[in-house]
Amino acid sequence: MNFEAVIGLEIHVEMNTKSKMFSNAPICYGKLPNTLTVPLDLAFPGTMPVVNKQAVINAIRICNALNMTIDRELWFDRKNYFYSDLPKGYQITQQQRPIGSDGKLEINTSLGKRTISIERLHLEEDTCKQLHSWDCTLLDYNRAGIPLVEIVSRPDLRSGEEARQYVEKIRSIVTFLDVSTGKMEEGSLRCDVNISLRPVGAKKLGTKVEIKNLNSFANIEKAVDYEIKRQEKVLLSGGAVTQETRRFDEGLKQTILMRLKTDAVDYKYFVEPNIPPIKLSEDFIKNAIDTSPELAEVKLARYQNLGLNDYDSQMLISNKKTCVYFDEAIKSGASAKLLANWIIVDVQSILNKEMIDIDQFKVSPRNLGKLVLMIEKQQVSNKQGREIFQKLIEKDEDPEIVKKIIGADLVSDGDLIGQAVKEIIDSNPQAIIDYQNGKDRAVGFLVGQVMKKMAGKANPAIVNKLVVEELQRR
Amino acid sequence: MEYLSLDILSLHQAILEGKITPLELVKQSLEKAKNDQNNAFEYICEKEALEAVNRLDPNKQNNLLWGIPYALKDNFSTKDIPTCASSNILRGYTPIFSSEVYLRLTEQGAILIGKATLDELAMGGTGMTGHKGLTYNPWDPSHKHMVGGSSCGSAAAVASGIVPFAIGSDTGDSVRKPASYAALVGMKPTWGRISRFGLFPFAPSLDHVAFFTRNVMDSAIVLEALSGRDEKDSSSSTVAVEKYSQSISAHLNGKKFAVIKEIYDSINNRNIIASFDKTIETLKQQGARVDFVSMDLKLCKAIYPTYIVISCSEATSNNANLDGIKFGPRFDGKDYEEVMTKARTEGFCEMIKRRFVIGSYSLFKENQAEVFLRAQKVRRLIVDATNNILKDYDVIYLPAAPSTAPLFQGEKGDKLSNEYLISDNHLAIGNFAGLPSIVLPLGFDKGLPFGVNLTGKRFAESEVLSLAKGIENITQLKDLVAKEGK
Repeated sequence: MNFEAVIGLEIHVEMNTKSKMFSNAPICYGKLPNTLTVPLDLAFPGTMPVVNKQAVINAIRICNALNMTIDRELWFDRKNYFYSDLPKGYQITQQQRPIGSDGKLEINTSLGKRTISIERLHLEEDTCKQLHSWDCTLLDYNRAGIPLVEIVSRPDLRSGEEARQYVEKIRSIVTFLDVSTGKMEEGSLRCDVNISLRPVGAKKLGTKVEIKNLNSFANIEKAVDYEIKRQEKVLLSGGAVTQETRRFDEGLKQTILMRLKTDAVDYKYFVEPNIPPIKLSEDFIKNAIDTSPELAEVKLARYQNLGLNDYDSQMLISNKKTCVYFDEAIKSGASAKLLANWIIVDVQSILNKEMIDIDQFKVSPRNLGKLVLMIEKQQVSNKQGREIFQKLIEKDEDPEIVKKIIGADLVSDGDLIGQAVKEIIDSNPQAIIDYQNGKDRAVGFLVGQVMKKMAGKANPAIVNKLVVEELQRR
Repeated sequence: MEYLSLDILSLHQAILEGKITPLELVKQSLEKAKNDQNNAFEYICEKEALEAVNRLDPNKQNNLLWGIPYALKDNFSTKDIPTCASSNILRGYTPIFSSEVYLRLTEQGAILIGKATLDELAMGGTGMTGHKGLTYNPWDPSHKHMVGGSSCGSAAAVASGIVPFAIGSDTGDSVRKPASYAALVGMKPTWGRISRFGLFPFAPSLDHVAFFTRNVMDSAIVLEALSGRDEKDSSSSTVAVEKYSQSISAHLNGKKFAVIKEIYDSINNRNIIASFDKTIETLKQQGARVDFVSMDLKLCKAIYPTYIVISCSEATSNNANLDGIKFGPRFDGKDYEEVMTKARTEGFCEMIKRRFVIGSYSLFKENQAEVFLRAQKVRRLIVDATNNILKDYDVIYLPAAPSTAPLFQGEKGDKLSNEYLISDNHLAIGNFAGLPSIVLPLGFDKGLPFGVNLTGKRFAESEVLSLAKGIENITQLKDLVAKEGK
């Protein structure tokens, strides 16, 4: 029997807003535990939530990128349950009326393009972080209250590859929109997978298993593919899949049972009474969308218009930060093709060597752009360009200055200098005789004459070399 | 001269004229608080009050509340001053931030002399459930009668002349009912008029900051001091604040009063009805129109169950932070569930636990449509019916309660009687609809006071206060202080 996998994803995206979803505590990854908190984050009695406007703007932008219907009123609900990581004993979320609904996202897979339907997108707040040790659990409230969007797909995905592509696309959207750092390894993008199997052609869905704690794109694909095989085996051997939550073990490359899903928790949802419904005006929504940072696809089209080929543009948009760098550097007026090449090859090799991201790269995009333009205009040779580049890595400054320091601003063109050398020697026959008589100062005299002729712009080392060569030839 | 029994304007005048200094006044108030016989205080802020007097800015002395002592219900967060909401689970908790109400009063020079007792976490209407035991009605020195709740300590402090005003909170009738039992003016304005930031939530959709004074003008003064938008409370209103103390008129001619017949009819106490009827006659003589209007009896009988379902549902969620991990007694346990269960079992009184059970039951998925959502629908129907009446009338006018203060050891009344279901709980209509509502003294029965209630349109605080002032002129019952017990 052949089976078809039915896969739905729930993605949590942690926002990188300045402050939290409902409090004014700052957000910063990696700070000392419990240093980024205000009374609301610890649910002090009497504190009240105030909605973070930027978080709403961010959510609208993601909704727009996912072709979703955006609710014109903002409603929040309480999701009630007791857990040690939940300060208030409830989470403020959007159960009844998510800000976004009915979206779709196109992904590229090895089998072609696929459109994945998205059920909903809603705003909520993160819980605090738990650090479990053998005898106690430590709580870090820095994370408590960070804005989250949860994006819930419809069960339209069919394979591990599709699941990975889908998550990568979502990551691209949220990073290009500057909404999130989108780092699975830091937990700013988290993904839960729901997966079930059914005989090909069947309408009825099979029993679904949830996979949690996936920490990389590669593991999403591996976990889904493993789980499909596992369920297939169970079904083919006449068994039944049980409703359960599993996790992916990287070492074993298997999904491991965490817990059976017996009675689901009753979250006793009700409307958050401390946040009266907020009207989202057409102007507000339009403005959020109009001022939205460019998505990868838009950038791709723009790059192709600039004359970049597929490979180069794809390379650039594979990382939002590379795009930011490129977009800044191109303001110099350098050609896109040459600039892209420099970034993809020369810059990238240094980033790889130093294991840094491009936003930590020492050469500013402005200076790299200038350098590339200089090369393009043949103000310096390619070789000189590379030399200047090396100097810029040591010290980021105006390439024009570096050009002077290394003498690349002087004429070094052999033909040009050679021409002048010939002319000067031709008009100074006495100097040839002097040279042949062993008078070395004749060389100095001729070099001086050539330099004078070339208004001091010639590279003296080359002039010297060519004068000697020419004299020897006579 | 018993300055603390004066109204705020006279007291203010006495301070300006130098007849008494804020320090003398606050010391008198603290002395009385320390000799309080009614269990009105959780904490007397002696040190803090004396420091606050020292810090008073003489440039602000024209402010009507400058140098005036007051009491604050102990469910308002006060930085560096213990706040436990009369609950064991918060025993020893000292907040690190202040409620907006406390900040505004401090800014205007009012001096907090004590945190007042309440029914635990503001749930309850008897003044019996606080962790310090019963709070007594100052009008009964034998301590047999309750002052009502949940703002029992605030009511007792004002009624016994310790302070000229006190802040409470009103979720069903928690200020207005005690006002009726203690011959006070008790007012809650429109939902959103006063910031709730720092008020420990009981049921936010019904919770109001409210206050006790001994006359209507004082209520106008206190309302003016507290009202206005606060960015920290998203539900606080941007509607402009009026100069309530200046707009008050007492003008009754041509004003329209609606008496809801079903509520009136459910009252059995003939003295209360007689006093009420008398005011109707006088109102009419003074040119007001008073009509009996009808509200569906089924809706009237649904007020109390609707209130219980909604308030308990919200309460179970609001108090879920009191879990023994961040707040409350810390117990060891094999997992977080055991830690929480122990803390909450030890920390709350039986009445609270019962309410949490009712709230959780109402919210369970299998019950929510039948219980919680139905209550919300009924609330909407009651609100619509009320607003419908107010389309044609300036205020709804009714006795505040069907009786004077009940006995602590009284016979348990019939909780399914119309009197209990309707007239003993009708003040919750003002909370359902978030309307401005005031109670003021109407009369005495066997030495115990009872009050009358006016409820007006949203943000029509000025109108409600003016009409209340008109009634006050009729009853001539104001600035009443209970005599000290022997």
